[in-house]
Amino acid sequence: MSQSLRPYLQAVRSSLTAALCLSNFASQTAERHNVPEVEARTSPEVLLTPLTIARNENERVLIEPSINSIRISIKIKQADEIEHILVHKFTRFLTQRAESFFILRRKPIKGYDISFLITNFHTEEMLKNKLVDFIIEFMEEVDKEISEMKLFLNARARFVAESFLTPFD
Amino acid sequence: MSIIQQHTADTLSDAWRTINIDALDPDSPANFDVSSLHPPLAEITEPEARHLATQVRQLLRGGDAEGALRGCLDSPVYNGNDLAKEAHLATVIEVLQSIKASEMTPMLQRIYASPGGVEALDVLMKYLYKGMASNSGASSSSASPARTPTRMTPQPTGFSQIGSRSLASSDSTGAAMSVLLSWHEKVVDVAGLGCIGRVMTDFRRV
Repeated sequence: MSQSLRPYLQAVRSSLTAALCLSNFASQTAERHNVPEVEARTSPEVLLTPLTIARNENERVLIEPSINSIRISIKIKQADEIEHILVHKFTRFLTQRAESFFILRRKPIKGYDISFLITNFHTEEMLKNKLVDFIIEFMEEVDKEISEMKLFLNARARFVAESFLTPFD
Repeated sequence: MSIIQQHTADTLSDAWRTINIDALDPDSPANFDVSSLHPPLAEITEPEARHLATQVRQLLRGGDAEGALRGCLDSPVYNGNDLAKEAHLATVIEVLQSIKASEMTPMLQRIYASPGGVEALDVLMKYLYKGMASNSGASSSSASPARTPTRMTPQPTGFSQIGSRSLASSDSTGAAMSVLLSWHEKVVDVAGLGCIGRVMTDFRRV
């Protein structure tokens, strides 16, 4: 792991651990409803201060805590146009299968690439440290995955261009 | 005669269904007064924040980095306009960047042990998150470019880079962020996770 990535992930890990303190809280506006307050935004007093952790302009995490849910949005590093396309395709692939990831949000928050929504029901049936580990591991893996895909893409493009241009040689 | 005849096309549409009636009801939880969650705070204007900045800078020049840090953490700008808040954030970041990495932990431990130290570190944590949230706070960094020797060079892909996002200033902001991140780690080491919890639940926002 590179030198500047470690404190970044460490900051995300400690902030997430502190933020994942959720309790069951029924909606105050609609009777017999129980909605994630961070999404509904109907009661301002249960929405806590959002935390931003940034490594640089292009890599940041937004944690929006509330009483019964937290929303984690990740902006993945995109150094150039190809990485931008790859990140878009990759996150689209994941969000289309959101129901098998349980905590994945179907649509990212504006300005971010992928969002997770963890409610008190998730923390009740899953282990909190495993949830934190999952997010951290995702952040570690996704950078690796994108740069790997970019290398494959370049190699493939070079091969295709070569074989396409041989008749004109 | 009947009221139905008075309906026009406008009133028969269902646009009224989209009105958020909770926002119009003074008793609804949507209109909860968040300012009742903290004690009344004295307003700090921009000249006052700038005056404090000059005092802190004098302490820094005198070599009293701990006094400078303590000085700006003891008077956070909770109630003030954006300019005053930005000015104070710039002061805090300037102090943080001027402190050497080896001095961070002993200094934090001294502050934590002193009276009112827990609150001071909570305020420091608030400013660390705010500094990471705002890019403008990072752009004021001219000092310590040598903290991050890792320089991210985009790989030559052979494709044209037309219309690519500008990555010019990311180097300096990256350096500023890594200072804040290392401070964050040290503060969590000294003050624990409760420090982050108090930042989240405190409605006095910097």
